[in-house]
Amino acid sequence: MRALEQVDLHAPAGTVLGLLGPNGAGKPTAVRILTTLLRPDGGSARVAGLDVVHQAGELRSRIGLAGQYAAVDENLTGAENLEMVGRLYHLPKGEPRRRAAELLERFELTDAASRLVRTYSGGMRRRLDLAAALVARPPVLFLDEPTTGLDPRSRIGLWETIEGRVAAGTTVLLTTQYLDEADRLADRIAVIDRGEVIATGSADELKDQVGGERLDVTLEDRSQLDAATAALEPLASDRPPAAIDGALCVPLNHRQGAIAEAVRRLDDAGIGIEDVAMHRPTLDDVFLALTGRAAERSEGEEAEGEGAG
Amino acid sequence: MTRTLRESGILWARQMKKLVRIPLLLFFALAQPLIFLLLFSQVFTNLDRLPGFEYDSYLQFLVPSIVALTALNSAFQSGIGMVTDIESGMLDKFLIAPIRRSSVLLGKVFADATRSAAQATVIVLVSLLMGARFATGIPGVAAMTVLAALFGIAWAGLSNIIALRTRNGELTMIVGILITFPVLFLSTAFMPSILLPEWLDTVAKFNPITYIVEALRALVNTGWDWTAIAQALGVTGGLAVVTFAGATRAFRKAIE
Repeated sequence: MRALEQVDLHAPAGTVLGLLGPNGAGKPTAVRILTTLLRPDGGSARVAGLDVVHQAGELRSRIGLAGQYAAVDENLTGAENLEMVGRLYHLPKGEPRRRAAELLERFELTDAASRLVRTYSGGMRRRLDLAAALVARPPVLFLDEPTTGLDPRSRIGLWETIEGRVAAGTTVLLTTQYLDEADRLADRIAVIDRGEVIATGSADELKDQVGGERLDVTLEDRSQLDAATAALEPLASDRPPAAIDGALCVPLNHRQGAIAEAVRRLDDAGIGIEDVAMHRPTLDDVFLALTGRAAERSEGEEAEGEGAG
Repeated sequence: MTRTLRESGILWARQMKKLVRIPLLLFFALAQPLIFLLLFSQVFTNLDRLPGFEYDSYLQFLVPSIVALTALNSAFQSGIGMVTDIESGMLDKFLIAPIRRSSVLLGKVFADATRSAAQATVIVLVSLLMGARFATGIPGVAAMTVLAALFGIAWAGLSNIIALRTRNGELTMIVGILITFPVLFLSTAFMPSILLPEWLDTVAKFNPITYIVEALRALVNTGWDWTAIAQALGVTGGLAVVTFAGATRAFRKAIE
């Protein structure tokens, strides 16, 4: 069985490419291939300009991987974990220790630096894992479901850190099953399902592609609904405006300038407006429209407790 | 070469820290051999009255076997650590680091060897307390630990083959335990060659355990028997080459 069929991805340097898909979509396989852990049986991929098969050795010094299964050594302290990684990446003498201290500080782990990792909470392990991925300052970072299973506070903290790395010029490939995560972090999103990329684009482009964006207009006087429908008809996409619960819902072709245009038209027709709201589809809507299924959430929904410290 | 050594040294240091922090790992493999040392040396103490038994006491005869048993136990722990590293993602972490892949396996080999040598030293110390004497003195004890380490490496290779093929820690442990006793009892570890039934004596001649035990036994009882040492080095070295070729193959397959 092939885990990946039609996967054509591209991420410009210094941006975040989100790989969005449910469990079993093939995200881990894609990450394993791009991080040289798995040899693809066909096709090719370049990361940081290097071929993942033929230049794997060179590539390894330029990538970092952190993920869902925080791979940290339980029997080492936080500091020792990072120092070991620094040595494995051939940092010059003295540098692993300096770099470890710096990262522990940045990830608010300084107090726990000399504690064995087996005493760490889930959130702390995840931060340490991300810190380890950053030790060698790799230009390309792979984050495999970095916040799955994390409590909301740790999640937002991790997002901020990732945003900081991207602002500093790191290119990130992020896999996630959380639509809000892709929405917040990713410049471009590739939606994959059953080993195939079924859509790509920015979050906005994906939403446009699906359509479903609509203007909800509440009128001061409901008896004017018909007049309002006529006035807004030209703005609507192939589906006509419809009255739902006394509000007029107008499916839009283009969202740009739609609010101003609607207000102007209704004003010209002498129709009073109580409220105008743009209803934007979420990535959930996108996923549903693309796959015919809701995005599947997994066991990761329950947040792990963040311990003291 | 120096690069591979430096890289495997980093991974060796990691294993050593684990050993120091979970002393149980060091003593897990030691507990059963120590019990055997105490019990066998008592239960079989009168074997020295048998004609053909040419050692001063059964204890003198037994110490090398217990060193081998310890190294065997220790070796069969090696694969369990490998499974743990696969499951925890640590192996992936090492594989995406810009280090040679051989360094990963080599670091493990060095760690296994160190553990076997440390455990052999503990057995020697305990047997000294029990009244054993070493014909070759401290240099002989040093030679014993080196041989024990090589022996440990050879069998650790087998444990890693099982671990990498099955990726199952329990299975790796059970297979190790199942192998340990037959291979020991089908050698001259607990009975001198001359007192073994003929068929078993023949089997023992094809058993690599016999050669390591005989070399160690000479170091404890008679002196520097270079023939026995050369045979032990040859047989154990050969076994190490075979098991590590197998482990390297299994490793390549597992990481692809």
